[in-house]
Amino acid sequence: MAKKTPQPESFSPETAPTKTYSLVELVKAPTTMADRGPDNTIFAFPAVALIELLLTLGVIVVLLGMSLAVNAPLEEIANPNTTTDPAKAPWYFMGLQEMLEHGHPTLMAVALPTLMVLFVIAIPYLDNDHRGSGVWFTSARGKRITLLTALYALIVMPIYIVVDTKYPLREILRGQFPDFLLQTVIPGLLISVIVLLPLLILLRSKPTSREIVLVMFTMLFVSAIVFTLAGFLFRGPGFELYWPWNMPGGYSPWDNL
Amino acid sequence: MQKIKDFIVNSRVWRSFFRHGWPDNPLDRSLVMTTNIFFHLHPVKVSRKSLRWSYSFGLGIIAAIVFTVLTVTGILLMFYYAPTVERAYTYINTLQSQVPFGQLLRNMHRWGAHLMVIVVVFHMARVFYTGAYKPPREFNWVVGVILLLMTLGASFTGYLLPWDQLAYWAITVGTSVAGYAPGLGPTAKATLLGGPEVGQEALTRFYALHIMVIPAAIALITALHIWRVRKDGGLAAQDAEEEGETNG
Amino acid sequence: MAENKSTISRRQFLGIAWTGSLALFFAQMMVALLKFIKPVTSGGFGGLVYAGKIEEFAIGSINRILKGRFYISRTEDGIIALWQKCTHLGCAVPWVEEEGQFHCPCHGSLFNKVGEVLGGPAPRPLDYFPSEIRSGEVWVDTSQPIQRKKFDPSQITGA
Repeated sequence: MAKKTPQPESFSPETAPTKTYSLVELVKAPTTMADRGPDNTIFAFPAVALIELLLTLGVIVVLLGMSLAVNAPLEEIANPNTTTDPAKAPWYFMGLQEMLEHGHPTLMAVALPTLMVLFVIAIPYLDNDHRGSGVWFTSARGKRITLLTALYALIVMPIYIVVDTKYPLREILRGQFPDFLLQTVIPGLLISVIVLLPLLILLRSKPTSREIVLVMFTMLFVSAIVFTLAGFLFRGPGFELYWPWNMPGGYSPWDNL
Repeated sequence: MQKIKDFIVNSRVWRSFFRHGWPDNPLDRSLVMTTNIFFHLHPVKVSRKSLRWSYSFGLGIIAAIVFTVLTVTGILLMFYYAPTVERAYTYINTLQSQVPFGQLLRNMHRWGAHLMVIVVVFHMARVFYTGAYKPPREFNWVVGVILLLMTLGASFTGYLLPWDQLAYWAITVGTSVAGYAPGLGPTAKATLLGGPEVGQEALTRFYALHIMVIPAAIALITALHIWRVRKDGGLAAQDAEEEGETNG
Repeated sequence: MAENKSTISRRQFLGIAWTGSLALFFAQMMVALLKFIKPVTSGGFGGLVYAGKIEEFAIGSINRILKGRFYISRTEDGIIALWQKCTHLGCAVPWVEEEGQFHCPCHGSLFNKVGEVLGGPAPRPLDYFPSEIRSGEVWVDTSQPIQRKKFDPSQITGA
């Protein structure tokens, strides 16, 4: 830091302060354009315009091809007296409907999804460290954490669905304990333990906030996909579990799209 | 030929539309972005890294494109539809069997709706895993989550309109879930359906939501979403580049 | 200015007054909107429905009355008119004769002949309608389904 400041001519030496600046604090922040490598940018026109044109054409071609190949389903006219078997919500809500199989609706279809949406909204406020932005998984460790969590969810969630369907604690113990305990408390605790287990393991190794949200988001995202696929592909008549290619009664899950 | 082209391009009428020449030089390439309403959402210059396919997969742009396709096909479908319990199903049948390209349009609208849900979900996953929600982009992430929920709402309300068995029972099951929310649940369900069961009132309300309320909201909020992308400094890939350079 | 004892200035007061009125105005609009979108239909799909003669319902049988959207279940003691709507998510529950129970296709809820939950996720027994037997004719009032926590013999109309 230079000690002597050059004084403009118009200033009179008597009125001008002897020192006009001082070092107050060192701040970590992006620097100005000085001392940077070559500007690695290109004009948006025509590159971006071309990309967008190509994507538009691509989307239209894909949709046209699909529309020519497969017709949108249309069943008989709505009849409030006969429920289709199975009756399914649109595919993106089949995760919710699958959850409903495993506990009380207020817990499974309202409380847990609401918590999930709130968590997703809160992510940037839970992890507000700017570092590592714009890099896939932020670090090699982040990538490993994501993969391991995804693997865990991919294995545990289908097992949970199958075991809870084949040997439902709620049905076996029905009548012996209060319904609230069986339908809400036990499933809620079980799901919480399964979902939070990877986080508890991670917490032992002093994770960054980014790694914590990586674990939680991956867990919820993969579980949502597993539940959606289970409900959409593997539930047949009577909402029982079947292999998608082996549904009884000529039912095909794809008819529900 | 060249003379005619020059005459048109240099005429006062043409010049009043386009205030720049063909963008083959830096000045005109800047002007095309700043003086054209369709391009003004873009920056004049973009970082090479944020254009890299393996970074963004173009999912946000694809979602916007699919939304546009859905708007166009949806408006066309409205020409052959009315939301009444007696006639809605007949209209869809007529559309499919008698209207030229009617079945194709309906297919495009339906598959487009599914595609949009998938693309928007994967867009969210992409933004999350690249850490692009971090400051200063927190608010835009929240806007994005709202857009995702509205996409689901748009698709769900449209699901009832064909008034077939699939539609009827899917909406019956879907809205019953809302009834389990403690407190406001039953009221919210009844308000959505306009009655105790899925019927004419529900069809009317879903139609209004599907063709007007939700699409208009999505269009407006998407504008905010894209505007914020610009104001928050473009794609986060650029930040990573800058940090990488300053650190090493 | 010395006699002005008020702690807020005229400018502040007007600001608060304007903000308050605007907030109140928008609150009013919201209340009006909520009132507007509240459903006007009262619910129910009819008043009294004639189900049939009591002799038509054999003891232990389940008969579906489509126009009233309910089942007449005849037990030794009498009849009960069960609403077909599943208490879980509102599907129409069919009676499955081979299984001897109501089996909901949506999520596999099971109910017995008087509507008690045998299995599945349904949180309470099937709702029922008040019924009446007038000189051998079964009449069911479908305007008001009755919710119940559990089955009680008093819910059965004697025959």
